[in-house]
Amino acid sequence: MNKTRVEKLIKNREALIERFLLGKEPDFLEKHALMIDDYLISMFENSTAAKNMTIAGTPFAVIALGGFGRNEQCIHSDIDLLILFRSRVPSEVEIFIQELLYPLWDERFEVGYAVRTIPECLELAFERFDVLTTILDARFICGASLIYTAFMEQFRADLSGKHFNSILHYLYEHGEKRHFDFGDSTYRIAPDLKSGFGGLRDYHTLLWYAKIKSNIKTRRDLEYHLFLSRFEYFTLEESLTEIWKIRNFLHHIIKRKCDTLHFEYQTELADLLGYKPKNRQPAVEHFLGDLHAKMDFLKQINQITFEDILRSINLKKGRSKIWPTKTSGLIIKKRRLYFANTVIIMQDPSLLLKIFLESGKRKIPLSIEARRIISEFKHLMDDNLRKDPGCIKIFKKVLSLSYWEFNVLNVMSTTGLLEKFIPEFSAIINKIQYNHYHLFPVDKHSIRCVQIINSFRKAREASEDNLYNSVFKEVREKNILIFAALLHDIGKSDPGSEHSKAGARIAEPVFRRFGFKSMQIRDGIFLIENHLLLIKTATRRDISDEETAVFLANKIGKIRLLRMLYLLTVADSKATGPKAWNQWTESLLRDLFLKTLGILKKGELASRKTQKVIRKTQSEVLQLTKERWEKEEIVRLLGLMSIRYLLYVPSQDIVDHIALYKNLGKNDFKWQVSKEKNSDIRSVSICGKDKPGFYSKIAGVFFMNGLDIVASQAYSFGPAYVLDIFKVKPPKDKIFEKEKWEKARMDLEYALRDEHFLDKALNRLPEKIKHSSGRIQRPNSIKIDNETSSFFTIVEVFTYDFPGLLFSITNALYQLNTDVHAAMISTKIDQVVDVFYIRSLENDSKIETEEELKLIKSVIFKSLPPVEIKENKNEKS
Amino acid sequence: MKKVEAIIKPFKLDDVKEALSEIGIYGMTVTEVSGYGRQKGHKEIYRGAEYVVDFVPKIKIELVVSSERVDEVVDTVREAANSGKIGDGKIFVLPVEQVVRVRTGETGREAL
Repeated sequence: MNKTRVEKLIKNREALIERFLLGKEPDFLEKHALMIDDYLISMFENSTAAKNMTIAGTPFAVIALGGFGRNEQCIHSDIDLLILFRSRVPSEVEIFIQELLYPLWDERFEVGYAVRTIPECLELAFERFDVLTTILDARFICGASLIYTAFMEQFRADLSGKHFNSILHYLYEHGEKRHFDFGDSTYRIAPDLKSGFGGLRDYHTLLWYAKIKSNIKTRRDLEYHLFLSRFEYFTLEESLTEIWKIRNFLHHIIKRKCDTLHFEYQTELADLLGYKPKNRQPAVEHFLGDLHAKMDFLKQINQITFEDILRSINLKKGRSKIWPTKTSGLIIKKRRLYFANTVIIMQDPSLLLKIFLESGKRKIPLSIEARRIISEFKHLMDDNLRKDPGCIKIFKKVLSLSYWEFNVLNVMSTTGLLEKFIPEFSAIINKIQYNHYHLFPVDKHSIRCVQIINSFRKAREASEDNLYNSVFKEVREKNILIFAALLHDIGKSDPGSEHSKAGARIAEPVFRRFGFKSMQIRDGIFLIENHLLLIKTATRRDISDEETAVFLANKIGKIRLLRMLYLLTVADSKATGPKAWNQWTESLLRDLFLKTLGILKKGELASRKTQKVIRKTQSEVLQLTKERWEKEEIVRLLGLMSIRYLLYVPSQDIVDHIALYKNLGKNDFKWQVSKEKNSDIRSVSICGKDKPGFYSKIAGVFFMNGLDIVASQAYSFGPAYVLDIFKVKPPKDKIFEKEKWEKARMDLEYALRDEHFLDKALNRLPEKIKHSSGRIQRPNSIKIDNETSSFFTIVEVFTYDFPGLLFSITNALYQLNTDVHAAMISTKIDQVVDVFYIRSLENDSKIETEEELKLIKSVIFKSLPPVEIKENKNEKS
Repeated sequence: MKKVEAIIKPFKLDDVKEALSEIGIYGMTVTEVSGYGRQKGHKEIYRGAEYVVDFVPKIKIELVVSSERVDEVVDTVREAANSGKIGDGKIFVLPVEQVVRVRTGETGREAL
């Protein structure tokens, strides 16, 4: 018999669920609860144990608790029951429980129950909050109704009497703890529909509070007892209906109780709930956008509730004073901002903005009432106000006052005023991007981005954060940076196009309307259009390669823009979520920023003049080679050449190098010797495969063959080749010059294969330098510059020329396990300035430690023979 | 079966992924890691403050392949990740005892 009753419940329930899934049961939750009631009632009516207990003078009531008590029974929600006796629990209750619940348990219903007497239950309710709240939702099902009413009367009396204040405190503290434990549920990859901030619990809390305070019976009473405005009540109904519907569908597809909307189920749910792709946005994004908006509303409900609770707690401490503010029309009551009255807003609609400025400046939140009024009066924000310089000034100040802890901009957004003031913003409100990467809808993300930039105003303890602070301090146009942060993703309203480009297009008229100057507008547009440039380069290019930083420096062009772009990139990544921002990305990005800054500061490789020179050289090379080689190939090779090379090497020499490179084949190197016009100097162009010590070996071979180097330049070419140019005095005996060059070439081949081939040349280096110029002689000196470049240690050697000088120094550098990436050697009469750009071979980076730098200095110093100081009088004679 | 674990430079990830998909390997686990070996960290200076990068950012990729394919996979990764410089990374090959596909329960080679 009992079995057929539970079978009937299952059958009816399945039919009900089926109708619900088809959208034919708008009152599903209540019907579902009543269906379970029916089962319990029929079981009770037919139970011998129940009859026996009643006859024996121990009648009892069967009471629904929690969600079941509120008639809000989702598909797999728990069924919570209380079996309540007046003062004594008979042992026969065991049999009744078995009759009542075993069939349900057998069918895997989640049923929880408690058997208590009235005094027990009262004691427990005021001891344990979780018990209290379930009783607040208690609903009589069957049995002795008198016991239920007797209990409820006593419960209510205790509730509004001796326990009133402590329960409100409890409710308040518990709410705070819940937010601490579960956090904000909106804008999570997997939002918690129940417990998080923005979940159903926010509504439960309001209901409990209203029940404690005014003994309301149903949700509808929230409006009648003035806990909510009419508008709020209906929005609440709408939000709850939607969230319950989602929860039911979630239960249905997972086949068990679950409140976490896991990422994996979101697409399926969007389909089941009938969402369709729209405006090139997938269905799931519309679904999540709607859900977040509803949860956002529950969050506001929660704030209203908590403010009310606080007021109730403090009310008994006497009425508090009303304080005026500096803005007429705004007042402060109990640390909340209010409008003095609504007429004043009609007279001066700019108050709608001013209240946010006042709030941000004084760090006093807007009262809920003020928020309501703004929502209702926001239509006053018209074109005239939007263009009004006074309003614009206020808004710019509000932007710079939005912090993490106290976010006025976010409040402005939830009241709907932000999109009234910047209508372009409305297209990104609640716009979700469905992936693991973007946690927030575009509007919230943009607001967070503004907050984070504002947070750079304060110096932090960690040195990493201090970098943002010191960079921020150097940004002069902070307004344009913050404004660009607010608008950087505005292009996402147009899913068809690249959002950074679309964003720049949409933002331009906004910048104009806000009265920015033309240079500021250009900067703002540049920032929006390039807001992904740094992060993309940092993660997709080799940042230890100087060319990467040079490329960026040329693209960005101005230190001012680089600073702003860096801060925007950091804020954008931080505001996106943990996938986009962690120590890993932070370190890559910082490195890239500092390196690019170094290039821009030095200016050598990234000035406008540099760009002009390079463009000219490139076009000359293309012109000179157009008949010999394919254009695409030359363009490719030009791309491999370093900026320094293109900047300092004449185009004809580049063409010679290209020819050598083309003929290189399997050789280690190729060279070409030519006579300089109008001088006796020979120019040797060399293209070779990059090997450590290559440069030093060439110098050694020239020395060995009595070829005196007067100038030289060395550059790397792509990752595997080098291009060098040597200016050399011809051999003294020019009759067999050709043969002598051939011998030198052979020697270089040997030297490249045999590490000791040049040892004998080392012994022939002079022991002292004699100088012949008339000037006052200076001792040898070596300067090491480790700051100018992030990529190279720059070694400058000042000495007097002697045969084998370059070999001596470069050999020392080679022995120190460093590689010469670029070198510029020049000789003026006999005073020599040699500049070497070196990197550690072991680390593939510049030299980092002080000890190593000291060692390099001393070893080079030793490689130079001391200058022979002549007496002054000798010099005169 | 072998597990191939490779530490590579971040900007080489796309090249490696592409090279592997060309030889028919589509699945892998990618992690952002930091560390140092012969390529040590370095420091940058901004306004007198030093910013030390002591751990160099790298990418770790992990994949499990049948033993016959391991050489081919290692060669492919090596070639694609190579820029000829210090810090290009390392590849480790480890034996794998068993693989189970969670959804179907298939084991061994079928589960790869």
